[in-house]
Amino acid sequence: MNSFSIKIGGEAGQGLVSVGNILLQAISQEGWYLFSHRDYESRIRGGHNFTQFRLADEPVHTLEEAVDVLVALDKATIDRHRQELKEDGVVIYDPSVQGETIDEPGFVAVPFVEVAQDQGQPKVMANAAAAGAIWSLLGDDLERVNGIFAAMFSRKGEDIVEGNKKVAQAGFDRVRDALGHRDMPPKPANAGPQYLIAGNPALASGALAAGVKFMSAYPMTPSTGVTEFIAANGRRCSVIMEQAEDEIAAMNMVVGASYAGARAMTATSGGGFSLMTEAIGMAASAEVPVVVIDAQRPGPSTGLPTRTEQGDLLYGFGTASGDFPKAILAPGDVQEAFYLMGHAFNLADKYQMPVIVMSDQHLADSYETTIPLDMDKVIVDRGEIVSGDEAGPDYKRFALTESGVSPRLVPGSGPALTVAAGDEHDEEGHLVESAEARRAMMDKRMAKMKGVAEEALPPVLVGDDEPELVLISWGSTKGALFETVDKLQEKGQKVKGVHIKQVYPFSQDLEAVLQGPGKKVVVESNYVGQLEKLLGMEFAWKPDGCVRRYDGRPLNPDYILRELEGGGHLG
Amino acid sequence: MADKLFQTTPRETAWCPGCGNFGILNALSDALEELSLEPHDVLFVSGIGQAGKTPHYIKGNVFNTLHGRTLPAATGAKLVNPELTVFAIGGDGDGYAEGGNHLLHAMRKNVNITYLVHDNQVFGLTKGQASPRSDQGFVTGTTPQGVSLESFSPLATAITLNAGFVARSFSGNKSHLVETIQAAVNHEGFSIVDILQPCVTFNKINTFQWYRSRVYDLKDDENYDPSNRTAAWEKAQQWGDRIPIGVFYKVDRATLDEAHPASANGPLVKQGVEYDGVKEILDGFAVNG
Repeated sequence: MNSFSIKIGGEAGQGLVSVGNILLQAISQEGWYLFSHRDYESRIRGGHNFTQFRLADEPVHTLEEAVDVLVALDKATIDRHRQELKEDGVVIYDPSVQGETIDEPGFVAVPFVEVAQDQGQPKVMANAAAAGAIWSLLGDDLERVNGIFAAMFSRKGEDIVEGNKKVAQAGFDRVRDALGHRDMPPKPANAGPQYLIAGNPALASGALAAGVKFMSAYPMTPSTGVTEFIAANGRRCSVIMEQAEDEIAAMNMVVGASYAGARAMTATSGGGFSLMTEAIGMAASAEVPVVVIDAQRPGPSTGLPTRTEQGDLLYGFGTASGDFPKAILAPGDVQEAFYLMGHAFNLADKYQMPVIVMSDQHLADSYETTIPLDMDKVIVDRGEIVSGDEAGPDYKRFALTESGVSPRLVPGSGPALTVAAGDEHDEEGHLVESAEARRAMMDKRMAKMKGVAEEALPPVLVGDDEPELVLISWGSTKGALFETVDKLQEKGQKVKGVHIKQVYPFSQDLEAVLQGPGKKVVVESNYVGQLEKLLGMEFAWKPDGCVRRYDGRPLNPDYILRELEGGGHLG
Repeated sequence: MADKLFQTTPRETAWCPGCGNFGILNALSDALEELSLEPHDVLFVSGIGQAGKTPHYIKGNVFNTLHGRTLPAATGAKLVNPELTVFAIGGDGDGYAEGGNHLLHAMRKNVNITYLVHDNQVFGLTKGQASPRSDQGFVTGTTPQGVSLESFSPLATAITLNAGFVARSFSGNKSHLVETIQAAVNHEGFSIVDILQPCVTFNKINTFQWYRSRVYDLKDDENYDPSNRTAAWEKAQQWGDRIPIGVFYKVDRATLDEAHPASANGPLVKQGVEYDGVKEILDGFAVNG
């Protein structure tokens, strides 16, 4: 794979997002594969944020640490990131912001605001100067970028579109004049139709395709993108997104809506997830299907609100008091984010239990190009539901069955009545205290885990069948893991990559991988090695090593390779 | 005599003999009987505590949820199926302590549900601790020196938040309670009925006799106007030698279910995947190279 990385840094509120959006569109429309991640602070103005773009001639699902182009909208960008520059790299900076002119190879001074003003345009068009300057390294003219200006600004008036074009051209010319023509990063021969989508909209779209009818949530980074996406499409998709007073209310509203018969979900992050656990337990006891997205960020407590971590796995596994059936899914990219939401709803309905989808900031906020998402592949299976007309007067909501699943009645759908409780209950749903009834109801609920385990999703495997090294990870580490495998294979190493997208219960197929050939290393973004511990509990197994990251930044192949080398796991 | 539609069940209750909850159960049953509803049209969402068990003893759909969480669970159910007549039922500890935040927001949102609070001014099921409604000086296991705090005023709070229907009734006055529950159900919007309910085991102060000698019906004052919010708030302050019961305040305003355009085509529980809508959304992600 040939890839090319651009990092744009600046203060919050400086237009970083605008430049980023223009580049996301332009790069993907131009035909490159793209992966882009935002690194931002928990503030609205100031600070230092950056967006990194990696364009490639093959599908790309992770970042690299070194960059080809550094674009500095603030001083911190050069101060903090210049050591990341590749040989022959380019730095585009504003000398008025930097406080000096840097006379070094590859450094190009573009006073963004001055460029805009020279063209008789307002300061805010400094963004267009930056976009034009960057594009001089990716295209021979600005046709692509101008098309995006037209799409973005035509409703604001033709003069705004033309102004942006002029400023972008001036920025483009500055860099071209300084550096001349450079080789463009290679493009794929024919990528075919592509989508450009980030994790949050992919999760939300997956839920809409699965027929979610109710969502309640309390805004919490990095999950809010899901909530706002569902809210924005409420009318179009007949779904209510009700903003709750807190996460406790959100989860309880979801349970109430699902009890009443609607597919219902919530999305939150660590602290909010903590508040939801009581109601998740109630859903389990009353056998109400619910889907909960936990967009993980570094904890404990408020932690690092805008950063990433895979630190909630064991908390998800141990969510709420008592033993109850559940499943935890962990999408590794936008494709899995979309399709696993449909699967999550089906599992929740089929087994009438909570299903947790573990996303994280890395997945939530990263854009990638990907093959089109196909809603015809999303099958809706509501499980065993009866109407109040069919059920008859002797209907028992918690009738004991071998599978543990009892047909669920939608209240109000006919004369039969349904009674459910978070307290322990008998088959009719009324409260009981006897040892026999408790045992029978526990056995019934836990019997569902047999079915859940049997249909657990198998791991995704890449690389060699007879590996010397097996790298195992889960969730959004997938992209970094698989590229690491590619890189090691290119060096002649026999290596296998194992991506686990269902982290509870595990597929039995994992057993063969864990007991199979090769040294096993578990790669994950947390301190204690939560996947490693859970695999150990379920399979009585220990790996040969680990790669862990817990500084709030996403894993990438460079980091993993360095750690593997340092741990003596290579060669 | 034919069975009532909303008959109380012969199931053995978990309540003490003489409990004020019996009066509420019987009044609820009578109130529903006259409302031309069928049991399957009704959903009782209840909390935890002795009050939370009420729906198990009457015919209807039941969701016995968590302590303090009745209102959000009831809200979720009502939003996806506005055709259900939804009750939230819990005690004063459930609603005014554990569920306080939910109460504030359910009232603000004006969810079209009826909230019955069994207010016995004490925690019964945990054996007699102070509740937010306990009177000052009330000695309990957690307040051995007597309650030092002022009692919470649910009605004044509800009126402050412009709740749609704000009433108080008394478990010892069945006809008043039946009438009040019916008016609450008929009101379009959030209705709260705080029901004075003696706890015969753990509250030896606020007994049937104590309440009976103090309560008077707001209707007895022909000048009382439940649409006057300021007067209602002042009336809600009255407690002690004389305790008003009846409808304190009533206002018609938009309900939460009306605020959601998604329900335009009928209850969401009857809607499937909006294929065209989702297709449009997905098409929006396509890169137009």
